Amino acid sequence: MLLFISGISYKHSNSLETSTELLVHSYKIQIQLEQLLSYLKDAETGQRGYIITHDSVFLIPYFNGREKVNKSFDILKNLTAKQPKQQTNLEQLRNLIDIRFIRLSNSLTILSGEEKNLLLGENMLEGNEIMNAIRLQIDQMIQLEISYFNNHQTKYNRDISFTPFITLILLLFTLIIFILAFLKINKDLNVLKNSNEELLISAESIKHAEIIGKFCIAIWNLQTDKLIYSDNLYRLLGCEPHSFEPSIENFLKFVHPDDRNIVSNGVEKIAIKHATYSRFYRVIRKDGHERFFSSMGKFIDNSENSTHISVIKDVTQEHLNNLTLQDKNRELEQSNKELASFNQIASHDLQEPLRKIQTFISIIAENEMSGLSDFGRNYFERIQTSVARMRKLIDDLLLFSRTNKIDKNFEESDLNLLLKNTLQDLSEAIVEKRAHIESDQLPVLKVIPFQIQQLFQNLLSNSLKYSNPIVDLLIKIECERIIAKDYPILDSAADNIYYKIAVTDNGQGFEQQYAEQIFTIFKRLHTSAEYPGTGIGLSICKKIVENHSGFIFAEGKPEIGAIFTVFLPA
Amino acid sequence: MQNDSIFVLLADDDEDDRLFFKEAFSNIKIKTIVKTVDDGVELMNYLTQTGNKLPNILFLDLNMPRKSGMECLKEIKKLEHLNDVAIAIYSTSASEQDIEDTFVKGANVYIKKPHDFATLRNLLEEVITINWHYQTSGLNRDGFLLSL
Repeated sequence: MLLFISGISYKHSNSLETSTELLVHSYKIQIQLEQLLSYLKDAETGQRGYIITHDSVFLIPYFNGREKVNKSFDILKNLTAKQPKQQTNLEQLRNLIDIRFIRLSNSLTILSGEEKNLLLGENMLEGNEIMNAIRLQIDQMIQLEISYFNNHQTKYNRDISFTPFITLILLLFTLIIFILAFLKINKDLNVLKNSNEELLISAESIKHAEIIGKFCIAIWNLQTDKLIYSDNLYRLLGCEPHSFEPSIENFLKFVHPDDRNIVSNGVEKIAIKHATYSRFYRVIRKDGHERFFSSMGKFIDNSENSTHISVIKDVTQEHLNNLTLQDKNRELEQSNKELASFNQIASHDLQEPLRKIQTFISIIAENEMSGLSDFGRNYFERIQTSVARMRKLIDDLLLFSRTNKIDKNFEESDLNLLLKNTLQDLSEAIVEKRAHIESDQLPVLKVIPFQIQQLFQNLLSNSLKYSNPIVDLLIKIECERIIAKDYPILDSAADNIYYKIAVTDNGQGFEQQYAEQIFTIFKRLHTSAEYPGTGIGLSICKKIVENHSGFIFAEGKPEIGAIFTVFLPA
Repeated sequence: MQNDSIFVLLADDDEDDRLFFKEAFSNIKIKTIVKTVDDGVELMNYLTQTGNKLPNILFLDLNMPRKSGMECLKEIKKLEHLNDVAIAIYSTSASEQDIEDTFVKGANVYIKKPHDFATLRNLLEEVITINWHYQTSGLNRDGFLLSL
C-alpha cells in the first residue's frame, strides 16, 4: 500500500517537474525567437547605417548579426527538436531570413554599382516586405509557443491544484487502510489472546489433573531426541520440578534396579520399532519410598516429527488395593471351598448313615411292627417321620448346593419343553389336586435346562402344595416380552429386553409383607405339621433365576392367591 | 455250586450294606449264590485268581478304600476273561458325573442305594432278572440308571 502511494506521489511529482520543464522550454523558445528578430534588426540597422554613412563601422553589427542569427537558429533547432510543427515553421523562417540576407547583401552590391538609388529603393522595399513576413512568421511561432505555453500552464495549474486533493485522498485512503489493518490486527490479537487464555487454562487443568490423578507426562521428540517432563513427574519422584535434566538415564536412576530392564526395553521399543507400550514397574523416590508406576505411550506422527507421549501414573494405591483385593478373593475362594466341602459333608456323607437308619427302620417295620405295642408303634412311626424329614432336608440341601455350581452349561432350550417335562413329573400331584394349568407360548432361551425345569417344578409344586381346598386350583403361566425400563422394579437390570414369566394361582396366597422373606433359605410361613417342607424350594428358585441374570418377585393375597414373576434376559 | 442259580458278587467296604444286600437276596425267590468282598483289592484278587468261579453279576460300590470301584471297573474291562460278567454299579451317590463316567467305562446298570429295605429287594430282583444279553449289547443310556 505504501509502495502504491509513493508510486503515485513519484509519478505525480514527476509530471509536475515535466510541466515545469515544458514551461521553461517554452520561454526559452520565445526568448530565442525574439532574440533572433532583434539580431536581424541589428543586422538591418547596421546595414542601413552603412548605406547612409558608408562608414564600415556599421557593417560590424551586420556581420555579427548574421553570425548570431545562425547561432540562434542552431539553438532553436535544438530546442524545437521534439516539435515537428515548430521545426517546419523554423524551416520557413530560415528561408525567409536567408532571402532577407540575400536582399541585404544585394543592397551592398547595388551600393557599389550603377543606378544605385533606384535599385536600392526597390531592394529595400522588397526587404521590408520580407522583414514583415519574418515578423509575421516569428509572431506566429511565438503565438504557437504561447499557446503551447498556455496549454502547459493550464495543465500545470491543473496538476498543481490536483496535487493537494490527491495527496489528501491518498492520506485518507492510507488512514482508512491503517485503521482497517489496526482493527484486523486487533481482532486477530483478541483471538490469539483468547486462544492463549484457553491454552493457559488447559495447561493449568492438566497440571491440576496431574497432581490429583497422580500422573505425569513425558514428551519425547524422536527426531531431535529432546525430552520434556511435566512438573508432576519430578513431584512423583519426590523431587522439585526441573531439579534434574530430563533424560532417560536420569529417569532410570529412580527406577528400581530390578525393574530397569522393563523401562529400558520399553524405551528401546519406542525408539527402534516405534511401538507403543504399557509398562508396570517400581521406582524409588528421592525420599527412599518405593512406588509403583505404570506407563502408557502414544505416538503423534506428522511429516517432519515423530513424537512419543508417555503418560506415567503412580498406581501404588491401586496396586496395593489390588493386592488386598486379591487376598480377600483368595480368602473368599477358600471359604467357598470350605462351604462346598461342608455341603458335600452335609448332603452326601450324612446321607450314608441316614440311609442305613431308614433301611434298618424299614426292616423292623416290615418284620417286627406286629410285635410292638400301640405305644411303641406310635413312637416308631414318629421316628420314621423325623427320619423322612431329615432325608428331605438333606436332599433339598444337596439340590441347593448343586444349584450353586459355578460351571453352568447354557444351552438354547425350548422352555415349553422344559415346562412339559415338569408337568409330567408333577402329573400325580396335579391329578390329585384336580389342578387346571394354562400356559402361554414360552420362548426359546439360552439357559441351563435342568435348572429352569427345577424352577418350574418348584414354583408349580408350591402352587399345588398351598392350594385352597374350597376352590378348584387354577395355575396360569403367562409370558410376555418386555423392556426393562418400563418396570421400575428392574432398575438394576443389566439387559434391556426380558421375558416376563408370571405364575399365578388361586391358592392360599400369603401376606404381602413376607414377599421377600419367602425366598430366604429355611424361611417358612407354615409349620411342618400344617405343610411339610424344608424352606429351601423358593430359595433354589431365586438362586436359579440369579444364575440366569434374572429377577424373581412374589406377590400374595391371603385366600386369593399368589403370583410369582420371573424375569429372564432375552 | 448249582448250575441253575445265579452267582452274585458284591464289592462293598460297608458292613451294613453287605448285610442288607445278603438279607435282600435271601428274601428273593430266585436262586442265587451271594458272595461279598470288602474292597476293590480283594475283588481284583478274587477275579484274577485262576480256578475261582466268575460271577454272573458283579455289584460294585464306587467309594471304597485302597481301590475304588471306578479303578476296578477299568481293570475288569481290560481283562478278556471277565467280558461276560455283567457289572452293576451300586452306590450311595447318583451324581451325573459318576453315572456318566461308569456308563462310558462300560458298566451295565447303575443302582442308587435306596432308603428302605423293600425297595432294595425289588431293585435287586429287577437286576438279576434283566435280560442281560439285551442289556449288554446295546449302548442304552436311558435305561442305565435303574429305578423303580
